Amino acid sequence: MLTALVTGIAAGALYAAAALVYNVMFSTSKVLSVTTGHLAMLGGVFGAWLTAGLGWPLPVALLGAVAIGAAFGIATEWIAIRRVLSRSDEHLWLLSTLALATMLQQGVALWWGTEPKPFPRLIPQDFSAGLADQKYWLPVAIALLLALGLEVFYRRTLYGKLFVAMSEDAFAARARGIPTDLIRSLSFALAGAMGALAGFAAGQLTFAYFALGLTLTLNGFVALAVGGLGSNLGALVGGLLLGVIGAFATYYLGGEYQQTIAVGVLMLVLLLKPAGLFGSASIRPV
Amino acid sequence: MRASRAVVVVGVLLALATMPWWARDQYQLHLAALIGVYWILIAGLNLVVGYSGQLSIGHVGLLAIGAYGFAILTGRYEWGPWWALAASGGLGSLCGLLLGLPSLRLPGFYFAMATLAFALIVTEISLAQGDLTGGGTGLPVPGFTAPFDSPGGFHALVLIVAVLITWLTWNVARFMWGRALIAVRDSVVTAQAVGVPVFRAKLLVFVLSGLTAGVAGALFASLQSYITPDTFVFELGLFFFVCIIIGGRGTIVGPLIGTAVLTALPEIVAPLARWSTFFYGLLLLAVVLLVPEGIGHMVEIVRARLRPRSLASFAVAPDAERLARCLRSEPRR
Repeated sequence: MLTALVTGIAAGALYAAAALVYNVMFSTSKVLSVTTGHLAMLGGVFGAWLTAGLGWPLPVALLGAVAIGAAFGIATEWIAIRRVLSRSDEHLWLLSTLALATMLQQGVALWWGTEPKPFPRLIPQDFSAGLADQKYWLPVAIALLLALGLEVFYRRTLYGKLFVAMSEDAFAARARGIPTDLIRSLSFALAGAMGALAGFAAGQLTFAYFALGLTLTLNGFVALAVGGLGSNLGALVGGLLLGVIGAFATYYLGGEYQQTIAVGVLMLVLLLKPAGLFGSASIRPV
Repeated sequence: MRASRAVVVVGVLLALATMPWWARDQYQLHLAALIGVYWILIAGLNLVVGYSGQLSIGHVGLLAIGAYGFAILTGRYEWGPWWALAASGGLGSLCGLLLGLPSLRLPGFYFAMATLAFALIVTEISLAQGDLTGGGTGLPVPGFTAPFDSPGGFHALVLIVAVLITWLTWNVARFMWGRALIAVRDSVVTAQAVGVPVFRAKLLVFVLSGLTAGVAGALFASLQSYITPDTFVFELGLFFFVCIIIGGRGTIVGPLIGTAVLTALPEIVAPLARWSTFFYGLLLLAVVLLVPEGIGHMVEIVRARLRPRSLASFAVAPDAERLARCLRSEPRR
């Protein structure tokens, strides 16, 4: 019972982190990128490879994994977003990010293998710690850290304010002299770094597994839609809610119905409150 | 133009119908039947993706439902294959209705995610309900009765169904419904303004695509003769989707060629097989970035470039006398 709760919160924290990553990219570009979950997958896989494979010390490996995530974020913006946003068709970014996500997932599968591989211990701790084990509280700590960091970044720094300005109205921001293309690239780099960090921290929970990306893209999106698009508090609450509900469903019904439950939650929330728990109602353009 | 097109269609159909007599081996027949089965699904999906612009990436779930429905009905309950085929189509359209009712109300990305989730859910349930679906080990599937039990006969059956379905979707596409769907794709608001019942139109074609997916699933199961949940991975759904986007939205010929080429390519070029999904992603990215209207559109562009242009030339000279008169005259008050 308590185990279900703890694992649920840990998994939920990872979903919440993915939802935060969605939000960062969405704020500047109004794009919901399919690559979101794959960023965390990159963090996990490259974290495991750099530490266990190449034998780098932990802080350096962490920096390396985060740098790879950020680089992939920038590459996503350059390849799949920038050209597409200049066109009017709103669905094209979905196709281009889906294509990129597929290529990344297959590339990693061919290079890394399709089996989940173990992730090294990050902090020296005995394996008998039970529910106080680092694999449960590390993702939670990172998700909270990311949410708090984003809040400080948005409120206290100039670049954060540029992000907010762009999320309010990109055209007005451009008219005021903000280099919107650069800010969008930066937001994707930030999102990549955040995703990789979350994947690195949750590596012991999820293992270094190539197929993590797609499920995390879906679950992070469910968390985001439940919490409300654009709201960071909503992302945290939605992620934790989804994780805990999923864990209890596993506890009572068995592990086979994880996705079914997740989507059931999504549909229920969207039917009752289409904007999500903390989202603002969108105005329909006519 | 019209006559030459008819000749091409009849020629291709004749070539396909006589394939059992000129194909070099059984494998080619198998491949042709596989393309036909995929096309039966994609023809329906094309109305959803290509015409009404709803990006369903999870149709593989409906394919799986049709396949499992057929396998369970014929294997466990010993129905005749024809009844099971019809029941699979009905099951597919029912699941399409149940999936479409909530999810077609959602905007683009939400809908795509809902269909993705649907595909994952179907895999999950087929693994969980082990005593019905055989779980991870899968199910053997009986074939059709004579004369459709041989590879050649099965090929003929697939060809007949594929032609029927193509004709059906062609009729939908070129008359009022098709126009309504294109209007929904290009601008929902405009479509509503001119009186298109947007949700009903989308739901109708989605249910139709569920029907074709169910029928395709039944034929697919019979063709493979053994199905496991691993057959219906998400990448297969992505493949269907890529076929349509690459072939071009809003046509029937484009996705048909896309299906044939993309199905045959990894089978013929063996080293590609390992990289096939990566290759589909790359192709999708290239098409989205370079020719979002699909490769079919590129042919039109090239043809327009090559066509000799005859531009009428007009000599433009000022009418000096009238100009002078204008300049001289007083402005009117």
